[in-house]
Amino acid sequence: MKEFALYEPTSLKEACALLAQHGDQAKALAGGTDLLVGMKAGWLRPEVVVNLKKIDGLRDISFSERRGLSIGALVTWTQILEHPQVAEHYPALHQAAASMGSYQVRNLGTLAGNLCHASPAANGPVPLLIYEASCLIQGPRSKRTLDLSGLFAGPQKNALAPGELLSEIFLPVPPAGSKSLYLKFAQRKAMELATVAVGSLVQVKKDKFKLVRLALGAVGPVPFRAHKAEKVLLDQAASEEIMRRAAQVAMEESAPISDLRASAEYRRGLLEELTYRALRDCLA
Amino acid sequence: MKKMISLNINGESYQVAVENRRTLLEVLREDLKLTGTRVMCNQGDCGSCTVLLDGVAVNSCLVLASDAVGKQVETIEGVAQGGALHPIQEEFIAKGAIQCGFCTPAMVLTTKALLAANPDPTEEDIKQTVAGTLCRCTGYVRIIDAIKGAAARRKES
Ligand SMILES: Cc1cc2nc3c(=O)[nH]c(=O)nc-3n(C[C@H](O)[C@H](O)[C@H](O)COP(=O)(O)OP(=O)(O)OC[C@H]3O[C@@H](n4cnc5c(N)ncnc54)[C@H](O)[C@@H]3O)c2cc1C
Repeated sequence: MKEFALYEPTSLKEACALLAQHGDQAKALAGGTDLLVGMKAGWLRPEVVVNLKKIDGLRDISFSERRGLSIGALVTWTQILEHPQVAEHYPALHQAAASMGSYQVRNLGTLAGNLCHASPAANGPVPLLIYEASCLIQGPRSKRTLDLSGLFAGPQKNALAPGELLSEIFLPVPPAGSKSLYLKFAQRKAMELATVAVGSLVQVKKDKFKLVRLALGAVGPVPFRAHKAEKVLLDQAASEEIMRRAAQVAMEESAPISDLRASAEYRRGLLEELTYRALRDCLA
Repeated sequence: MKKMISLNINGESYQVAVENRRTLLEVLREDLKLTGTRVMCNQGDCGSCTVLLDGVAVNSCLVLASDAVGKQVETIEGVAQGGALHPIQEEFIAKGAIQCGFCTPAMVLTTKALLAANPDPTEEDIKQTVAGTLCRCTGYVRIIDAIKGAAARRKES
């Protein structure tokens, strides 16, 4: 790893100012499980590293029936996995936490780092997209909120401006009576990014789909909601046939690439089947 | 440029001069000669560099040495006390869970962290935990037996 200047600010504002000052030369450090891997491999060669871990107030995760779930920037995957209300109200996020990295990596890695790393195959984005999460973004001078879908600009590229940090993630309370889940297909059960991942949230009333959210991972440059497939189902009677059709539309909406994990064709086939199962299992 | 940092490792305080880029793993092995902590993949995949930071199991190859300042670092060298093996170590020996020994320090330390947080782990809990450390001899069955044995002994005492 190349040597760098290390800053350890104690406030978010100070961290943002440092990042703004050093622009492209600087990287924020949270758990380091993406950043340090990239720096060791030499893909990333920052001159300046701004360690966020001395900043107070970013390690809280809390749930309220009114406001939903709030997750600070330094909250680790282990905290998410062990939070009883995540398992109860946000099962897709719980499942993503359970299949993220490994025991040790979950103790280091943060959800915010996962989102900011912006891998299309990452565990965080897909469940958060179906829960319609939003992000609080702190800049050197001001704050803004951003829908999660606006955070992803391309493979390993987030939409934050220089000097901006993701400080908190909000998940509204899921619609009453809805069911949700996360399906990740990977070569191994641990320490492996998804070949394809699907998240689904479904609310059925009188046997009809009243609300459907589908999010897809590792089948395009960014994780995304499959809005066309969702529309196929809306207000329709739940049947195997309609779910198969929606799965096909989801496949058509995707744009996977061939890489070391799988070919594009394999991913399309996998996506269609996983989407069908994600819908079917929400009805079970 | 190097700076002096103070690390607390296995209850002892060490002063070391480090560059910012030095990982905890490198400082443990190269500066302090605590080579019980293994190095293999150096990117978080193999788990063999696992140490406990304030009781939490982490890959020391992915932690900057300066991030261990102010924390209690526990390595395999600190597990046996006064020449007596820890019950977890005894269980690993008794169950034949040590083959080449390369993953053993990490397995013992993750077991320690697991049992402190979850004294009565299910087999699935144990598997989730050991999944973070590669056993190159593929001897997981006996490792899992040893962890069950260690949990049972911990409950008795
Ligand atoms: C062995 C191993 C297995 C893994 N398995 C998986 C897996 O199964 N699924 C998966 O999705 N990922 C996996 N990962 C990747 C990684 O662990 C996760 O993406 C993790 O959540 C990253 O979080 P972090 O805190 O370590 O991020 P860091 O490495 O600290 O940061 C990641 C990036 O985000 C930026 N950043 C961090 N925090 C902020 C912030 N608050 N605001 C703005 N920018 C920020 C950093 O500058 C950096 O560019 C794995 C990694 C390893 C080493």
